[in-house]
Amino acid sequence: MNDIAAGLRPAVQSSRPKTAARVGIGGPVGSGKTALLEQLIPRFLRRGTDLAVITNDIATKEDAERVRRSGLIAPERVLAVETGACPHSAIREDPTLNMQSADELDRRYPGLELILIESGGDNLASSFSLDLVDHWLFVIDVAGGDDIPRKRGLGVMSCDLLVINKTDLAPYVRCDLPRMVREANEVRGARPVLLTNCQTGEGVDAIVDHIAREVLFDR
Amino acid sequence: MLRLTRLLGNASDATIGESLHRIEHAGGLEIITLKRSDTARKRLHAFTDRGTEIGVMLDRSEQLANGAVLLLEDARAIVVRLDEPQWLGLAPADAAAALELGYFCGNMHWKVRFVGEYLHISMEGPREDYLHRLQHLIDARRISVLGDG
Repeated sequence: MNDIAAGLRPAVQSSRPKTAARVGIGGPVGSGKTALLEQLIPRFLRRGTDLAVITNDIATKEDAERVRRSGLIAPERVLAVETGACPHSAIREDPTLNMQSADELDRRYPGLELILIESGGDNLASSFSLDLVDHWLFVIDVAGGDDIPRKRGLGVMSCDLLVINKTDLAPYVRCDLPRMVREANEVRGARPVLLTNCQTGEGVDAIVDHIAREVLFDR
Repeated sequence: MLRLTRLLGNASDATIGESLHRIEHAGGLEIITLKRSDTARKRLHAFTDRGTEIGVMLDRSEQLANGAVLLLEDARAIVVRLDEPQWLGLAPADAAAALELGYFCGNMHWKVRFVGEYLHISMEGPREDYLHRLQHLIDARRISVLGDG
């Protein structure tokens, strides 16, 4: 055993995986997934994270083009997947296209640390396969209805982090935000819920901290 | 945080199992309990049963499993255990076979439970490894595996 341990210990402590962490961002249409992505990118780049992005759309590359044109990240670091059908099929039932894209980014950028994979807009039952991502966020928003959490959709229930976005709109859409948050915490048990306003960036730092703590381990 | 970046083997491997047994007796074994679904993840933030904070960072080709060894030092080891018990149910052909099976399992230091006429082994590694060790009893029709028809 001593021989085994002596041979293995240096590798255990010092080696680093050749591939990046993969984090999924899913949620209903219009909940603010791309807006969140646009807030996350500069924050990760500022903290020195080597980053790339994959976006999913049904029949276009619109989200990818939006991120590329934003000037936030080198355009070649943004890949687009056209799902051609229900977006959840490309992140759960058969995530091959997304896995191939992530593998391509790993090959293209040695030292890549994080790949953010944005799903196409879907419904409350969408979820990510853990064959594709190591960790995933589900983004809902107050304008979608403050009853979303208590409906216990698969996305709300099974994601690693639930994000409630557009908190600034709560007074205008008759959303009881405190109740929405309370019910989200009730249905999710100990798993986290964070609030954001992705137009201003409010609350996004906490998401960066969460992702860094859960999958990057670099600080 | 302790970053663990490689799978070093499985607790069911004879050589590693021997080492773990010795480390456990010396009080140096730490366990990470995971849900089966979490074994698909390549990055994982977790705490061992002794409170050690760990970050698992595996290559895409590696796969966490029950019994996966993530750290193996002279006096310390970290091993994955799935939270739901994994049981291998066995039916002995007769009383003599039951005695032989019980003796064999004891010899292997396997944890077992008895359910009526059946013996269940708590698996701490891949099912195939246990079946391999029991193959001589299966081939001789001394035991049959429950759920295998």
